[in-house]
Amino acid sequence: MNYGAPTLARVATATGVLMHVSLASSFIGTILLAITAEAIYIRTRDKDWGDLAHTFAVISTIIFGVGAAFGTLVEFGLVTIWSNFVAQMGSAISLPFFIELFAFLFEVVILPLYIFTWGKIKNEWLHWIIGFFAAFGGVWSAYNILDVMASLSMRPPGMEIIQLQKPISGVISYIAEFQSPSQIWNMFWWGAQVFIFHGILAAIILSWSGATSVVLYKYLREHKQYQLKILKLTAPVITALTAIQGFVLGHYQGMLVLEDDPLKLAAMEGLFWSGYKNDPLLSLLAYLNTTGKFWGYYSWPAAIRPPSFIFVTYWGFMVIGGVLLGAWALGLTLTITYPLFKGAFGNFILKSGQYAIGILAALASIGGALTTESGRYPFIFVQADPNPNGPPNITGIPVSAIYNPTFTPTPAVVAGIIVVELAMPALAWYMVYLYLTRKVKTSGGGEH
Amino acid sequence: MNAISIAVDLLAWAFGVHIPIVYTVLGLLWLLPTLEVIGVRTNNQHFINAAANMSNYLILIYAIGGVFGTIITVFLAGLYPIFTNAAGLLLWPVWAIAIVSGVVIALPLIGFYNRSRGRLSMRAHIIIGYLAAIFATVIPAMFRLVFAVVNYPLGVEVIKDPNSLIGFDLVVKNYAELFANPTYPPLLLATIFGALALTAILISSVYDWKWDSTKNEMYDVVSKFMKKLALAFGAIYVIGGVWYLYEVYQYSPTVIWSILGHPPSYLPSAFYSVYQPTLILSGWFYALIALGVITLITLLASFRVRNKILAAINFIIPLSMVDIAEVMNLVAHLPYAIVPPVSAAEALVNNYGLTFALQVANTLKASTFISTLDVLGTYISQYPALLYLADVIFVFFNIMIAVTIYFGLVWRSKQSS
Repeated sequence: MNYGAPTLARVATATGVLMHVSLASSFIGTILLAITAEAIYIRTRDKDWGDLAHTFAVISTIIFGVGAAFGTLVEFGLVTIWSNFVAQMGSAISLPFFIELFAFLFEVVILPLYIFTWGKIKNEWLHWIIGFFAAFGGVWSAYNILDVMASLSMRPPGMEIIQLQKPISGVISYIAEFQSPSQIWNMFWWGAQVFIFHGILAAIILSWSGATSVVLYKYLREHKQYQLKILKLTAPVITALTAIQGFVLGHYQGMLVLEDDPLKLAAMEGLFWSGYKNDPLLSLLAYLNTTGKFWGYYSWPAAIRPPSFIFVTYWGFMVIGGVLLGAWALGLTLTITYPLFKGAFGNFILKSGQYAIGILAALASIGGALTTESGRYPFIFVQADPNPNGPPNITGIPVSAIYNPTFTPTPAVVAGIIVVELAMPALAWYMVYLYLTRKVKTSGGGEH
Repeated sequence: MNAISIAVDLLAWAFGVHIPIVYTVLGLLWLLPTLEVIGVRTNNQHFINAAANMSNYLILIYAIGGVFGTIITVFLAGLYPIFTNAAGLLLWPVWAIAIVSGVVIALPLIGFYNRSRGRLSMRAHIIIGYLAAIFATVIPAMFRLVFAVVNYPLGVEVIKDPNSLIGFDLVVKNYAELFANPTYPPLLLATIFGALALTAILISSVYDWKWDSTKNEMYDVVSKFMKKLALAFGAIYVIGGVWYLYEVYQYSPTVIWSILGHPPSYLPSAFYSVYQPTLILSGWFYALIALGVITLITLLASFRVRNKILAAINFIIPLSMVDIAEVMNLVAHLPYAIVPPVSAAEALVNNYGLTFALQVANTLKASTFISTLDVLGTYISQYPALLYLADVIFVFFNIMIAVTIYFGLVWRSKQSS
């Protein structure tokens, strides 16, 4: 049986999702920077922070505008390319989408209000609260969408996959259902919470790392005080969040994969053998002893194995990229905070950090996203069930069952889709560039 | 409250907010470059200034309209999964064309039109404005096709399939045939000219209100021009509407029965039980005609008498008309999600027998599309508190939208000045 879908369609979708994630992450990061800067301004009356708050708020609005339009594009891509996924939305996972509407309303109504009321509300904390709710809308929106993505990788408790004896209208052959309607709240089970907050932290780390690289690049050339102030805010936060991501959320995420998807674990960790064998290092990480055994990647049939390249995306991109990012962020924090660390070490961190921090964060994020999504391929709503006679049974709805059979992607069509998917984020960043350069001109070459 | 009424109510609410906004967007996209053309030709700066002021409003309203479009899509997917699934499978080229033109091309063009004012020659700026209008018009051109298919699924074939759970497959073999749907041209005509007429009368009423306070000549000049446009476009809208009713009468018995309150004369009485609508909306229809007559009278009166009361009436009644007409058209299909054509019903009876024909008709009902697989609707019907909470939040955000638009306009007008 063919469980998969055309590679061209998957490439087009993956590119679109990654680009949308980059915009969504940038929105969350910039709006959080805006309200953080505004809070500091209100407390300290430091004008730099007031200007920074406004600048980040406008940037977040630009990114949100393009990101929302891009979200519509992704949504129609879902209906067009993965039409039969819509049936699963209705049968099982509509609750987070329904709640997402309110989060979206928060964003789209409160964010412009935050901008339009800038300097018009006498009570500055009241204005800050408006910004807080705009940021809350962004994070809540991410929460709901990540919840859906979590269910694709880890089937929520109570959800059943039913293979229909007769397909509906000849195409809908699998249905996901909860055993009772009230179990739709199981979409938010604790495993999903780990997945969600892992994703939200990744979004903040990615966007703040990108901002740090840009500001550091400018700081090394212009030496403006406001640039240093941003770095003193972002670098320690990235360090702390990267540590939490790796040691706390990453640990729980890993334990979930260990329990719920041993096939994904085998692919991620490069357990490229057949049978049940010991891996001392992984055993140490998982069980705090060296005697643990794991099913190898080749223990399962080839048709249901995820691509082996996720070993590279996990270890090469995510783990190593994340560790190096944490190291660089820590180095930058020490360099800009303590004179002791200036000198050769500080120079190296500053000069390399302007490129390394953003690139490492991007690599870690892309690696994490590819590992998560490609690691569950060729299924959605993945579940591992014990099997006394061999490796756990991996089940789910095959990707082939949610693909639109009437849509045949050609290289030209997919190339066109990818051009659009790349052009829209590029447009957002070009508009941000125009906004920032216009600000410089209008202030007569002033600080911002 | 059951899952079906929940699904219909939520969709009608989102639709009721979305439609007047996107009508305004479409109207502004065509009217703003037209104002600039008039301004250049008559050498009257008032028209050009008015276009500049309203262009700022366009961006904000496009964003909010787009959000409600997304809300409709989420409601469709979450509450009508089978219908949306089928629509995606059958009509994906329609969605694809709409999204490429309406978002990928029109959105940057609208932004460029807004930002390039004063930086390009007026001629180039006008061309960009009309290009944005053309590409944005592709959105209703495509989405109205879906409405036309729902009225009368010409081009969608029912093929008996014993391997299918519902006993048949829906197939589109020739997409070009979809465009031959007789209800499509009048629906599109009424939509485009309805949008133009609505926008023109809204502008005239806002400008009459402002003129009453400021006596600014720009408001006077542009308002008079917009009233003439509203009359002309409104006349075409009425023609499109009557034509649409005629075609619906011919091809969509449930819809016309719901709107007029009685079945079409050609419908055999044996089919009454099959085509009987869930809702009789003739009261809405006659209210719509009455509101249209009132609007015509108040619009004509506003040529001679201008005050804030008349301006408010000319603002509120046309918006109400659009909502009544659109929501009526949306729910008149019930109990069907897709109204089975009489000719197809007869053909199915002849080819496969009465039982199969009734099976197809029942499957095309909204209740099947909604209640099948609809876990959210089922949950809400068991625990309606979720819906009540949602209603409160939606009301709150409807108010917040008005507040945001107000602040947006204040902010923009101060920026402009």
